[in-house]
Amino acid sequence: MRKIILLIIVSICILFVSVFILPKFINPFNLDDTGSQIIFSIRLPRVIVSILMGSALGVSGAILQGLLRNPLADPYILGISSGATLMAAAGLIFGKIIFGLFTIPLLAFIGAISTGIAVGIMGYKGGGLLPERLLLAGIGIGFLFSSILMLLMSISADEGLKRAMLWIFGDLSMADWSLIPYGLIFIFAGFLLSIWRVKGLNALILGDEIAYSLGFSPFKERLILFISVGLMTASSVSLGGIVGFIGLLIPHIVRYFVGSDCRFLLPSSALAGGILLCMADTIGRTIMSPTEIPAGIITAIIGAPYFLYLLRRKEIMGV
Amino acid sequence: MGILDLKKISFSYNREEFIKDLSISLNGGEFIGLLGANGSGKSTLLKLSAGILSPQMGEINLWNKPLHHYKGKDRAKLISYLPQMLDINAPFRVIELVSMGLYPYDILPQLSPEEAIEMVGLTEKKNSSITELSGGERRRVFIAMTLLQGAGILLLDEPLANLDIKYQIELIRLLRNLRDIKNISVVMALHDINMAFQFDCVYIVKDGRLIASGEPHEIIAGELLKDAFDIDVTISDIFHPLKPIK
Repeated sequence: MRKIILLIIVSICILFVSVFILPKFINPFNLDDTGSQIIFSIRLPRVIVSILMGSALGVSGAILQGLLRNPLADPYILGISSGATLMAAAGLIFGKIIFGLFTIPLLAFIGAISTGIAVGIMGYKGGGLLPERLLLAGIGIGFLFSSILMLLMSISADEGLKRAMLWIFGDLSMADWSLIPYGLIFIFAGFLLSIWRVKGLNALILGDEIAYSLGFSPFKERLILFISVGLMTASSVSLGGIVGFIGLLIPHIVRYFVGSDCRFLLPSSALAGGILLCMADTIGRTIMSPTEIPAGIITAIIGAPYFLYLLRRKEIMGV
Repeated sequence: MGILDLKKISFSYNREEFIKDLSISLNGGEFIGLLGANGSGKSTLLKLSAGILSPQMGEINLWNKPLHHYKGKDRAKLISYLPQMLDINAPFRVIELVSMGLYPYDILPQLSPEEAIEMVGLTEKKNSSITELSGGERRRVFIAMTLLQGAGILLLDEPLANLDIKYQIELIRLLRNLRDIKNISVVMALHDINMAFQFDCVYIVKDGRLIASGEPHEIIAGELLKDAFDIDVTISDIFHPLKPIK
């Protein structure tokens, strides 16, 4: 309990710093026009997008590691992100603007969801969604799309290519209020689905046969959780591209503090993922200001050494 | 009519027939040991009885109603199954894992997770991570979860594997007590023929067929075992009917 209160206090501090202090202090009690413009049009949407993305990735990672019974699973392993990236990059490279500001996020979302459906269909065999088949299908589709992406990039013009590269490394600078409601709805829907089936997820971690014996249908549980991960990952990629590390390692770090019970693991991973990405983005836009370092690079630079430290001290998923 | 009836069931997978035209009727309070060589169909038979697999031919009725007509939670309150392979890498705490036995229930039954853990002798380790336990201790954790689930029919696939002889005896004693008090039925696949003497009735399965059933001292005879396990056996003192563990 004390740890959770501490985490919440730290989170509030990070939020305050991200909105008001970095990269340049703006006094919240004495706001002028420029100050409120910076806070409400630039910093606040960016902070919200980073929290949404980080939460979605943290929860999705925790769900997938249980769903696929694999500690190496992360939200990008199912190829969902490669589908999103391919569609978004194609849009950026060919410069097609069909729906104004929404074009790229919409293309990414369509790419992600259709890839998710394709992986789901290939993962289905003998009346069930088989973890190993899902993983292999995801990896296969991921490779295919990555190679098509490389091909597109090698034949594309400079400007589109640069924007596509930024997007691939996770670019939160395009954060903007117009996308937030959509991201919020899909991510919240995905999160609610996962919380609704959280007992099923716990049971699936014990194996399909035990889950069945406890009264769950492994196929139904896995399908609902797969849809929940698909919604959250697709929304996250659409909001700001690909941010590595959070989906893979946040659930492992959070497990040290709250254990494996998904009823606590999922909300805690959402909180920790959101706060870590918010912090990383704040650091990324501060330390070399006005040049920005992509948040994905900062999350990995902060998170990976900490994860390795924990790995030396304790065991991960029983190994 | 028993509480669980398997009528002329056949099951095949990839054109190989694992269970052939097999019928069993399980009654309340029965304590049954299932013997057979590797690949004889013991595990398949238990999975069919639990509803995890569906037979291509024949029917399975639980309390006179087709097994697949039950809703998951309702079925889970009547029948529980513990697989042979307990492969888990998530560091659940013992108490967390055992508590999952309550998932089928909206209103909590009388037995508490702590009591179930005490029954398998793991009270001191209730807050330990399952990944820190030995193979035998892990199995006892899953057995506690199964006991907490509180079903009247327990289908256990080699639950005595990796248990010390002390815990093998204690588990059998515990299940027999539960049978006496609550009239539960137990079907347990066995790998140790000696343990068969602790059961009221023994079934021998070979090539997906039930080749014999009856009291252990009648069934564990040289010719039958020779046939079931494809070995040359001589009955020695070891195989003489032991006193059932009280």
